[in-house]
Amino acid sequence: MLFFNVIKWILWKDILSEIRSRESISSLFFFALNTLFIFSFSFSVDRDVTFALMPGLIWVAFGFTSILGLGKSFLSEVHNDCLSYLQIAPVPKGAIYLGKFFGNLLLMLAVEIILYPLFMIFFNLDILAKLPSLLIISMLATVGLSALGTLFSVLTVQIRAREVMFPLLLLPLSVPVFIGAVESTQGALSGDPFSAYRHWIELLFIFDMVMTITSFWVFEFILDY
Amino acid sequence: MAISMVSLLGIKVSHTYRFFKALKEVSLALQQGECYALFGPNGAGKTTLMKIFATLLRPTCGTVAIMGKDSVQDREAARQALYFIGHGSFLYDDLTTLENIKFTIGLRGGLPTLGEMKIALDRVGIGPYTSQKIRTLSAGMQKRLSLAKAILAKPTLLLLDEPYASLDEKGIDMMNEAIFDFLKKGSSVLISSHDRVKTAEVAHRAGILHNKGLKEIPVTELVHALF
Repeated sequence: MLFFNVIKWILWKDILSEIRSRESISSLFFFALNTLFIFSFSFSVDRDVTFALMPGLIWVAFGFTSILGLGKSFLSEVHNDCLSYLQIAPVPKGAIYLGKFFGNLLLMLAVEIILYPLFMIFFNLDILAKLPSLLIISMLATVGLSALGTLFSVLTVQIRAREVMFPLLLLPLSVPVFIGAVESTQGALSGDPFSAYRHWIELLFIFDMVMTITSFWVFEFILDY
Repeated sequence: MAISMVSLLGIKVSHTYRFFKALKEVSLALQQGECYALFGPNGAGKTTLMKIFATLLRPTCGTVAIMGKDSVQDREAARQALYFIGHGSFLYDDLTTLENIKFTIGLRGGLPTLGEMKIALDRVGIGPYTSQKIRTLSAGMQKRLSLAKAILAKPTLLLLDEPYASLDEKGIDMMNEAIFDFLKKGSSVLISSHDRVKTAEVAHRAGILHNKGLKEIPVTELVHALF
C-alpha cells in the first residue's frame, strides 16, 4: 500500500508543480514547434519526399524534445536539497522512480498529442485514420524513453556537465527505441497491414519491459549512496 | 533503565571524503528523551556526523544504530524513526505550505488532517500563510515550516543541523520550546549548532568535535569552553 502511495504522492507533486510553473511543458512545446516549423520550410517542395521522410521527422522532433524534458526531470529535486529528503524518506526507492517515470511519461505524451495535429497542419497530411496506431506507437516509444531518461536524469542531476552527459548516456541506449519507432511509424503511415510492422512493435514492447524493470531495480543504488 | 535510542558504536566511526578524513574515532550514544549538542569550529565534521546519523552518508568504518536498527544494513527501519532538518529546507517552491506538509508526511505513510496541519503551523507562527507558495516565504519562515513538518512527523530521533540559522529571536525561542516538547514526548534530539547560549538551554549533554574526534564537556561549561 505504501508503495502505491509513494507513486501517487510523487506524481501529485510533479503534476501540481508543472501546472503551477508550466516550466517544462511550455519549453518542450515551443522547442518542438520550432523544429516542426524549420522542417516544414525545408521539405515543402515535394509532397512524396516529405511523406517518405515523415517518420524520421516525427521522431527527430519527439526525440530531441524528450532529451530536453527528461534531462530536467530531477532538477526540481536539487533545489532546496529535496533530493536528500527523497533519499532519507523511509519509502521504497523504486516507488519514487515509478512516480517520476509516470510524471515524465504524462508530460511527454501531452506534448506528443499536441504535436500530431500540428504535423498534419504544417505538412498538409491526412493521417486522421492512422492516428490511433500512431498514438500506440508513440506511447510504446515514449515509455522506453521515459524509463531510460528518468534513470539517467537522477544519475546526472548532481554533476556539473549534466547537459552534456545526459544525452551522451541516453542517445546510444535509445537507439532501439528510435529504430523501432521510425520503422513502425513508417508502416502505419504507409497503410501497411499490422503484421508487416508487428515485429517493430514487439521490439518496442520488449525494450520497454527490460528498461523499466532494470531502471526500477538500479534506481535505488543510484539514489541511495 | 533508559533505553539507548541512538548509538554510534565502534571504536572508530569515521568518514573519509576521497583522501580527506573528516571524522575519526567518534563514539556517541543517546538515550530516550535526551538532547545532545554538537559543537566545533567550521570544518570540524559536524555536518558530516549529522549526515551519517541521517543515513545520508555511510560511515567509512564503525556502526550507527538507531532504535537498535543498523543504519546501513536496515536503513529503512532506521529512517522510519528519524527526521532531519538540515541546511536545505526540503521544500518545493511551487507548492504551498500545506501542500509541502501533505507531501512530506504523505510520503512517510501518514496523512494529517487539515486541523492538525493548521495547529502545527500556528505552533511555529506561520498559521496565516497556509496557502502561500514557498518561493514567497523568507528563509526564517521556511525553517519554521520545516519544524512544523517535524512536529507532524513525530520522530523518535530528531536531527537538527544549525536549527537557529535564519530564525529571529522569537523563532529561536519557539525552536527551543518545540525541542522541549519533543523531549517531553520521549524523542531524542541531536543538535549541531554554533549558538552555545541558546543550545545550552535545551541540551542535556554536549560534545566538541575537535581534531576529527568527539570530546564531551559539561553543559554548564559550554558557554566558556574554548575551541
